Amino acid sequence: MNLIRKRRNGYALLFAASVCLAVWLGAALMPEAGLAFRAISAISLILLVRQTRLLYDAALIWDNRILAVPSALISMPGRLINKDTEETVVSTFGILIGSKIYRWGLDGVHGVRLHAAYIDREWMYLTFGNAAQTMRVELLHGMTQKQAVLDAAQKLFRETGVTADITGW
Amino acid sequence: MNGHNKLISRRLSTAAFSFSFAYLLSFLFEGQVMYSLLEMHGVSASAYILAAMIAHFMGLLTCGPFVRSQAEAKSMMLGGMGLCFAATIPFFFAPSSLWLGGLVISGYFSGCAVAAWGFFLSAYTPKKERIKSCGDVLIYSNLLMIAINVVAMNCSPFIGLSCALFSLGIGIAFIWMLPAGQENEQNRALKNKTHGGVKNPLILLCLFVFIITINSGLMYQVINPAFEHLTGLVSWYWAVPYIVALAVMRNLPMNAKRSSILYVGMAMMIGAFISFMLLGRNTSDYLIVDMLMLGACGIFDLFWWSILGDMLDYSDNPAQTFGLGLSANVCGVLCGDILGMSVTSIGLPNAEIAVIALTVVCITLVMLPPLNHQLVLLLKSHTYLVAYDNMSQSQQTDIVRHIKTLEPLTVREQEVLQLILSGKSNREIAGALCISESTVKTHARNIFSKYDVGSRAELISTLLKNQTVV
Repeated sequence: MNLIRKRRNGYALLFAASVCLAVWLGAALMPEAGLAFRAISAISLILLVRQTRLLYDAALIWDNRILAVPSALISMPGRLINKDTEETVVSTFGILIGSKIYRWGLDGVHGVRLHAAYIDREWMYLTFGNAAQTMRVELLHGMTQKQAVLDAAQKLFRETGVTADITGW
Repeated sequence: MNGHNKLISRRLSTAAFSFSFAYLLSFLFEGQVMYSLLEMHGVSASAYILAAMIAHFMGLLTCGPFVRSQAEAKSMMLGGMGLCFAATIPFFFAPSSLWLGGLVISGYFSGCAVAAWGFFLSAYTPKKERIKSCGDVLIYSNLLMIAINVVAMNCSPFIGLSCALFSLGIGIAFIWMLPAGQENEQNRALKNKTHGGVKNPLILLCLFVFIITINSGLMYQVINPAFEHLTGLVSWYWAVPYIVALAVMRNLPMNAKRSSILYVGMAMMIGAFISFMLLGRNTSDYLIVDMLMLGACGIFDLFWWSILGDMLDYSDNPAQTFGLGLSANVCGVLCGDILGMSVTSIGLPNAEIAVIALTVVCITLVMLPPLNHQLVLLLKSHTYLVAYDNMSQSQQTDIVRHIKTLEPLTVREQEVLQLILSGKSNREIAGALCISESTVKTHARNIFSKYDVGSRAELISTLLKNQTVV
């Protein structure tokens, strides 16, 4: 979350600086340099908008967290994609892993949705996606008490409508 | 502030506004006293009328940024009305540049003072009672105006002017007595209110008010001069149908459906212009035309005044919102005036003037359903609106259950939906469920998606359509 915010602030600074330089160089009759900085301004504006949107989604995920776990394993059917050891937040609207986010439940019934949740003694498996693609996340949940697992499952159901399948407890 | 003190403050605020507004209606705002004075001195009225109205419009429009609290509102009302008093004195003497200057000054500051009253309407009148307070101030100020008009037209314009100033003086005294110590409480309350939701309904309401009051301007410039020869009758009868319409609408039971009466008002306005076109210019014709026209004005004025009054709860600055709504009214009258002056100067036949007026009514007819639609989202319990909120909680739940969704709602979404349907804003829902406003927006988007609708308006419309099914 902080990394996303820092990156957003960086792009905002870059945008402001490049606009100032583009104006200054334009006024100082250096059209080529001015043009270059206008291009940089345009690119940094696009990056700024993207990062601002990302920060909005990250804040939404952070505000609606259901569970915080120490590490996550992201996979697509058949192949392993990535293993992350940064703190991971599972929320009503997706997962936040460090500065990476996986969204669900943000774009209505036709967008990416959380489809299934499965919890055993060590791992929590979440399957989400849309008609085109499905992904699965494996989280080392770190819960040792059955009640904590039941509470997390209850909260997951309340927020997302998905009933977690709990086994091994 | 306890209930008794609040009631006293409400009465004081009503009295303050009614007496001050009577001065505006009888003098500044195309009042009979002003016309009589200008006629007595043989001065052309158009420049003075337009100057006063433009200044009044500017005052209403620009008051918001200067008045941000109840104490500032009281100061603005006292100062503004005091300036009006001073600027009216030159009218006891021969015409000079002080007349025009006085009209511009009093026009501007009276606009500011009227807009500032929004703070007191919002603070001292409970939401459900605002229609009554608005009705009261309109009725009392028009009754006072009739009394002043009768004096001005039957005795002397100077005595009429003295009466108008006396009324203003009483108004100032009541403003002085108004308590303004609830600033902190009110500011705290305002912080809990929605900010984004009021914009679209307010814009649409202003547009509606602007268009509908073009006909009032036409009436001032076209209908009224045609019956000028009936001086005695016009002096007292002119506003009577307006007051009767206001009194009827004000005293209807709160659960009465006033929305359909708006269409009756439209029909009356159409009838007024058609009668004006077909009938002659004698007493009975005047009674009919005036009854239809001013009756319709009464219906519409109480409609938009009370809507505006309810909107104050959703605004950071009641003076700004109130001023915006009233400025749309003045702008409409101003445009109607200019249109009326133009059609009179080129000698347009009455039939063509009626066609212009009917076109205006048709535009407002088209606007009424979307306006209702937008306002329902903001003011669900307003008596003029067809509201989902009139149903009981169990009826609402039944309807919601009977409508098929593309996917079942989650428990959280059901909670959000219930609060949306009970008329809460996003901010209020966020507060009630202890979640952020952006979370509420996201849940709302998902709910719309599951009901396959694009907006709150469409969602409520879908639920209303299904009301008959259950």
